[in-house]
Amino acid sequence: MHDAQMDYYGTRLATCSSDRSVKIFDVRNGGQILIADLRGHEGPVWQVAWAHPMYGNILASCSYDRKVIIWREENGTWEKSHEHAGHDSSVNSVCWAPHDYGLILACGSSDGAISLLTYTGEGQWEVKKINNAHTIGCNAVSWAPAVVPGSLIDHPSGQKPNYIKRFASGGCDNLIKLWKEEEDGQWKEEQKLEAHSDWVRDVAWAPSIGLPTSTIASCSQDGRVFIWTCDDASSNTWSPKLLHKFNDVVWHVSWSITANILAVSGGDNKVTLWKESVDGQWVCISDVNKGQGSVSASVTEGQQNEQ
Amino acid sequence: MEELDGEPTVTLIPGVNSKKNQMYFDWGPGEMLVCETSFNKKEKSEMVPSCPFIYIIRKDVDVYSQILRKLFNESHGIFLGLQRIDEELTGKSRKSQLVRVSKNYRSVIRACMEEMHQVAIAAKDPANGRQFSSQVSILSAMELIWNLCEILFIEVAPAGPLLLHLLDWVRLHVCEVDSLSADVLGSENPSKHDSFWNLVTILVLQGRLDEARQMLSKEADASPASAGICRIMGDLMRTMPILSPGNTQTLTELELKWQHWHEECERYLQDSTFATSPHLESLLKIMLGDEAALLEQKELLSNWYHFLVTRLLYSNPTVKPIDLHYYAQSSLDLFLGGESSPEPLDNILLAAFEFDIHQVIKECSIALSNWWFVAHLTDLLDHCKLLQSHNLYFGSNMREFLLLEYASGLFAHPSLWQLGVDYFDYCPELGRVSLELHIERIPLNTEQKALKVLRICEQRQMTEQVRSICKILAMKAVRNNRLGSALSWSIRAKDAAFATLVSDRFLRDYCERGCFSDLDLIDNLGPAMMLSDRLTFLGKYREFHRMYGEKRFADAASLLLSLMTSRIAPRSFWMTLLTDALPLLEQKQTYELMRCLEDLTSRRPVHGESDTEQLQDDDIETTKVEMLRLSLARNLARAIIREGSLEGS
Repeated sequence: MHDAQMDYYGTRLATCSSDRSVKIFDVRNGGQILIADLRGHEGPVWQVAWAHPMYGNILASCSYDRKVIIWREENGTWEKSHEHAGHDSSVNSVCWAPHDYGLILACGSSDGAISLLTYTGEGQWEVKKINNAHTIGCNAVSWAPAVVPGSLIDHPSGQKPNYIKRFASGGCDNLIKLWKEEEDGQWKEEQKLEAHSDWVRDVAWAPSIGLPTSTIASCSQDGRVFIWTCDDASSNTWSPKLLHKFNDVVWHVSWSITANILAVSGGDNKVTLWKESVDGQWVCISDVNKGQGSVSASVTEGQQNEQ
Repeated sequence: MEELDGEPTVTLIPGVNSKKNQMYFDWGPGEMLVCETSFNKKEKSEMVPSCPFIYIIRKDVDVYSQILRKLFNESHGIFLGLQRIDEELTGKSRKSQLVRVSKNYRSVIRACMEEMHQVAIAAKDPANGRQFSSQVSILSAMELIWNLCEILFIEVAPAGPLLLHLLDWVRLHVCEVDSLSADVLGSENPSKHDSFWNLVTILVLQGRLDEARQMLSKEADASPASAGICRIMGDLMRTMPILSPGNTQTLTELELKWQHWHEECERYLQDSTFATSPHLESLLKIMLGDEAALLEQKELLSNWYHFLVTRLLYSNPTVKPIDLHYYAQSSLDLFLGGESSPEPLDNILLAAFEFDIHQVIKECSIALSNWWFVAHLTDLLDHCKLLQSHNLYFGSNMREFLLLEYASGLFAHPSLWQLGVDYFDYCPELGRVSLELHIERIPLNTEQKALKVLRICEQRQMTEQVRSICKILAMKAVRNNRLGSALSWSIRAKDAAFATLVSDRFLRDYCERGCFSDLDLIDNLGPAMMLSDRLTFLGKYREFHRMYGEKRFADAASLLLSLMTSRIAPRSFWMTLLTDALPLLEQKQTYELMRCLEDLTSRRPVHGESDTEQLQDDDIETTKVEMLRLSLARNLARAIIREGSLEGS
């Protein structure tokens, strides 16, 4: 299994793996019931991503077979809704944009390109491609939270406020790049963040909690995890802070819903949880370790407390 | 990186015993973390199927306990009451209110403890029973700490009353006395009972001298030989000066009297008055505050804080609050005697005796498994204006930080999340945005729940969330073919695009079945109709049908005509409209319609249909158009004749 993602409400879990399948489980009340086994990829599936529920039950998956498939649940059954085959090499990462922008999917591929699929209605998807986003390949994409510039006035229906769409990508060129959509609809590289000395494996843009700062977490083959912050007042200056140097590759970083905890998963078989302390330093608050036969306290407590 | 006070706790997951697999994870909305073994390498070559296990880890498992749920519910009510206490109140009245709140919290803890104790006893499975028992002891420790904090920080007892409060505190928490007393008194010959002297001793240790005297009188009755010394001891006990609540004497007076009494006891010791009874002699030494004698009673005292209070009672009853910590530290050291080291509870109590509130909260946060205790206690202490705010990144002060953590934990639970909403409301800095982020993640399984969530959002003017939730519900309704529901949700969401989509579905349904569903809704759209052109058309079209049904043909015809000429009707619908129009038309209107028809036929746009389909459609369309032309022409002819004849006559 390569990836798993909970849906918006934590009631369903989508997983994908080397056996080319995408599976969907119902995980309510601690159960794990298989709802669907989706076949369609011809190679290992690397990542899955749930779209916002206001668009229905939609799941995107990307695979070694260079394809991105968008699955939709209609009348209780899951079907392939769209297939995007615009890449020359494995597609490594998919990420849905904030729902405010509409239904937009970013896909990062080993051919170095990033494609953006926008749903235009009636089963149609419009494709924009950023070629050579990262030399050698792009490993991760992550969208910035939706923030309207200026004041948030209640817009009359039908009129969309002018969002500035941004996302971050991490690649095999050891760089993190920030992309911004221009007024003409084209995507431009806005920033290059350099700090890693090996492939960037994952990037995660933190949810917005109303403060004027933006935060991005990145992790790399070089074992380092950086926290990048930008004070939006002066804009455009991102300063990295080293969270920790691990002894092995770090594969995945992810923010909790209110962005107060960062979870990091690394090659040392551990998932560590980090929190920012009073003076802006990041502190490890917990280790979740894959054990060898010992029983976890929190897991059994959870089971016993379910009366 | 900052130094942590302790190593972060390691939670082990039983997993596949292989060095190659790594752990992957994902955040769920309710603080759940899914961990699994995964296989991800730079070279994507190996296709060995790994053995996938998925674990769901929850941070706040306590949320799922039935009994603790009562604790959460009831303390929620107390919390709200506290927030609403009149800020104008100051001084004594405010203090007594705050003390009352504290006592309320404590009684809730005790109630919970009692219930859990019952369950522990009744548990059939010993492992379960043990688990409940350990929960009971945790709750008991919580109440112990809270009680002490109440005495020191909220009640702020001064020297004199301080000791009385501490005595009460100890008596409340070392409860073996009552069962022992029942045992001894219930026996035939109490003074001959094995535990008689233990009982008397512990009564003395707890300062319950009246009861001790009663015991001694039984002994005096039973063995006349010792009656004399029992009486003397009894007198000593009776005359010990102690501050009683209604007493008007000053502290200095009390001290003086106590000094005298102490010297009297000393004299009895020197005279070896009680030499014949080792028991009585050791009692005397205890009452003289002799440390060695006290330490001999370790087992009866059972813990160092009991030792501390007894020591204070018999050596320094007018102790000042600021001096407490000297006694506390030395009592702990003496009691443990270097044999064991302090437990977390001991450290917490020590911190309290040192009046180091931050340390108390910090240690409690580390020791306890969920945020309930520290969140509520800190909030109460904040209301006592005892906390200076530290600037934390999350929550501008410690109180808010803890409340946010606690409330977030509540959102993991399918019904307790509602309590969480109120807690967020009282977090001025980040409460609102935290609520916004959490509330969107509540699964909307039932209409009721959805309405509840919406009401909460609307009350707080969270328009973005309202819109988002309404859109989600509209989409759900469409997928379940409940078009009426979908329409009303999209209207509530002010989502024009979606309203158009649903209206289209309605119209399509009408074309297929010849009738409308959800007539009530469409009839009563009112101003909401303006949301989208398609919706307006739907409403007006339905109105046309109604007028037709009521035989108001002239009005119906005009409405229909205006629908066509104003161009809000979708092109796909024009044929239908034209067909509907036929029976109604007058001459003038027919001309208009014919013009529309020409329009329609001349500019037929092609929308992605395949060639063959289009040809077929074209055929049908052509036939339809021809028939319409014919009907219109006939209509025109009729109209001309009719109008002509009317005018003529």
